[in-house]
Amino acid sequence: MLRLLLGRVAQAVLVVGLVVSATFVLIRLAPGDPYAAVTEDPTLAPEVSAGLRRAFGFDDPIATQYVRFLTRALRGDLGWSSARQQTVGEALADTLPNTLLLMGTAVLLGLVGGVALGAWQGWKPHSTMARLSHQAGVVGLAVPEFVLALLLLLGPASLLGLFPVARMRSVVAPDGIGGLLDLLHHLVLPAFALAIGLVAVVARHQRAAMAGVRDREFIRAARAKGVPEREVLVRHALRNSLVPVLTLLGVILPSILGGAVLVESIFAWPGMGSLMIEAVNARDYHLVVGCAIVGSASVVAATLLSDLAVLWADPRLRSRR
Amino acid sequence: MRRHLLLAAVIVLASACAGEELRPGPEGGTVVIGQVGDAQDLLPPFHSDIAGRIVAELVFDPLAELGPSLNVVGDSAFAPRLARSWRWSPDSLTITFALDPEARWHDGRPVRAQDVAFAYRTLKDPANAAPRAGDLANVDSVVAIDSLTASFHFARRYAEQFYHATRVVPLPSHRLDSIAPGQSLRTHREALAPVGSGRFRFVSWAREVAIDLAAVPDHYRGRAKLDRVILTKVDAVPGLAQVVAGEIDVWEPLASHEVPATSASEHVRVVTGPGYLYSFLGLNARDPQDTLRPHPLFGDRALRRALTMAVDRDAVRRAAMDSLAFPGLGPFVRAQTTADTTIEQIPFDRTVAEALLDSLGWTARERDGTRRRGAQRLAFTILFPSPALPRMRAAVALQEQLRQVGVSVTIRGLDPRALGPAVQSGRFDAVAWTWQTAPSPTALRGSWMSRSIPGAGATNYWAYSNPAFDRAVTDGIAALDLETRRASLRRAYQLIVDDAPAIWLFEARNAAAVHRRFDTPPWRSDAWWLTLGDWTIAPDQRLARDARPATP
Repeated sequence: MLRLLLGRVAQAVLVVGLVVSATFVLIRLAPGDPYAAVTEDPTLAPEVSAGLRRAFGFDDPIATQYVRFLTRALRGDLGWSSARQQTVGEALADTLPNTLLLMGTAVLLGLVGGVALGAWQGWKPHSTMARLSHQAGVVGLAVPEFVLALLLLLGPASLLGLFPVARMRSVVAPDGIGGLLDLLHHLVLPAFALAIGLVAVVARHQRAAMAGVRDREFIRAARAKGVPEREVLVRHALRNSLVPVLTLLGVILPSILGGAVLVESIFAWPGMGSLMIEAVNARDYHLVVGCAIVGSASVVAATLLSDLAVLWADPRLRSRR
Repeated sequence: MRRHLLLAAVIVLASACAGEELRPGPEGGTVVIGQVGDAQDLLPPFHSDIAGRIVAELVFDPLAELGPSLNVVGDSAFAPRLARSWRWSPDSLTITFALDPEARWHDGRPVRAQDVAFAYRTLKDPANAAPRAGDLANVDSVVAIDSLTASFHFARRYAEQFYHATRVVPLPSHRLDSIAPGQSLRTHREALAPVGSGRFRFVSWAREVAIDLAAVPDHYRGRAKLDRVILTKVDAVPGLAQVVAGEIDVWEPLASHEVPATSASEHVRVVTGPGYLYSFLGLNARDPQDTLRPHPLFGDRALRRALTMAVDRDAVRRAAMDSLAFPGLGPFVRAQTTADTTIEQIPFDRTVAEALLDSLGWTARERDGTRRRGAQRLAFTILFPSPALPRMRAAVALQEQLRQVGVSVTIRGLDPRALGPAVQSGRFDAVAWTWQTAPSPTALRGSWMSRSIPGAGATNYWAYSNPAFDRAVTDGIAALDLETRRASLRRAYQLIVDDAPAIWLFEARNAAAVHRRFDTPPWRSDAWWLTLGDWTIAPDQRLARDARPATP
């Protein structure tokens, strides 16, 4: 187990290193730089941009900048964000928890909802409701997160006024419990927009997995021993059918992250997604690289966690290892 | 499902009911200002965007403030702020400011003459790359005579000496002078959480979310009537929805397509005033392939005039801005004291334009109607910054109008960070551009005077050059009285309009959506936020958010 973990961590470091290096070079090859945007104020001469470029070392050769970046990064300094006027570490610390809250809520909703729905559909395959809900899931799969987000923004938020149209908190948010309720109120729509697709994907896989174990010998044996039906479903069938879904989670996390970028942007949720878009638009070199580090590391970590979860769920794999 | 709906309903209700106690009396309330971009810098020497400027000008008081007449010649249009009074030396080469002894920094320390001298040094320090350091080119030194007296010494007399002196906004030297020599003040922690001297103090800055300011209770000019100012960053689409829903109190500038929804809102009213931006199609006089040679099309003055004549600029204005713009008249806006609305324009006349093009040899036609002269096609590309919707609409209208006289136009929107290098290097044919004007006409030096003149033409990306125009602008800027200045600049404006280095498209009017509960002083379009301290809300009009204090 320890060897497995160490091997995967070494792989993760390699993957993150490659992603970061590629991002470092590619963003500098894109047209413009952090101080290239011309303003509409004719009194702001181009010399000012040149001075800022010099002051922050962006006029050095890429190789020099890369060595400087590596040297500082190893000390934990990811540089200064020219767009946000704070260190990249501070920018990530400001936004990452917000994304984790949004994605965590969406993944929780998606997993719980998808597993429960899929398990029910697979357990009762001939029920009309199960078949209907299975067909309805196709819609959830087909509608991209950003389209759903826009529909939610238009309907429940703008037209009905039931939910806020944007942000994570009201501009003038109350304190205490009022503040918490305000946060939850703002969380509903973006989390829902992200979770719906996930529910559909998970339910589809869970249904297939459940159908695969429903008539297996160990299920029949459990029933023959007089194990109550609910226990047969939860302890025997569900646990054994979870493996494909847990594997799936590691695979689809990057796509959830991609969806979060758009959903955050649509709902002005101040998370990593909005940060990435802002960083790329502003050619904020240091911040783009910082986002690449967090993005690639989180995907690698999620894959690792998914593998560990599979090991937990399937004792046969543990014994093979 | 039912339980989920119930939970959502509870959250909605509880959130809506979480109110605070409202305070009676003339003082109190919160204004929420929506901005499409977050501030970049909050210190007066560095701000280069509108959000940063609002914060800097609310948190820091200048020595004196330019009044709504925007007359920057002499000192008659200025009102005292940190400086209680000032006097000129007999030779007019020194201005001495007497500071208000009651003025305090927000940490309680008195504002002193050393803070004025420190601000001057900060602006001049190359390590800071201060955007407006050029304003101080004629200031030799700033000296603290005693703790409450600071003198500005100038190298020569000129019309805007006083204006330039007021561009040095005192900074709290006791908090900022710890920075090492050669290091930029921009990244100093105090620059990001500034301690100022204005009627509002800085409270907090959640990047890309909001900047929170609070009234200073014992300010030397009197307490601001509002308790709190919040600048919040919001994208255009959710921003408009929040304005209409009454969640944002001020939304400025208001785009023309946003006016109907805003006007229909029960929460906000639309305020309009003169604008300070003029938009034009800049025609590059240099060949994009070899910038030392003239442009194959726009190097020809007669062709530029013919193209201008072929454009119905009023239709372009309507297409781009609807009613929120005036016709463009030249490189100025009507609100400037040196504006002249009598400048004779090149008239729109498609028939004459076609005859002119014929006379210039552009007679042959391709199958799509594009004119040719020998092997050369009458075709060019218009660049515009891709997020700028009005300029995109203007470019589309121009494309169609020019097509009707046999000119083929390709439109290309570029990300502003890609557009900047392309335009600055001269690698373009034509660009739909906007300049923001200042009260002073000196910006003409950078944006329209010949690039060959030292210190001029830095932002003259279209490389316009006419020595007679240069002389007229130089005379106008040097004039010591407003009438002489106006006469010289009128000459300059007429020359540049006749030369047609650009097609003057429109001058945007300033429009803003303001929540109806505010009672505001006369709207000052150039800097409406300067009056925020005097905005009031009747106690019976206040909302729950008006009672929530700023929390650091």
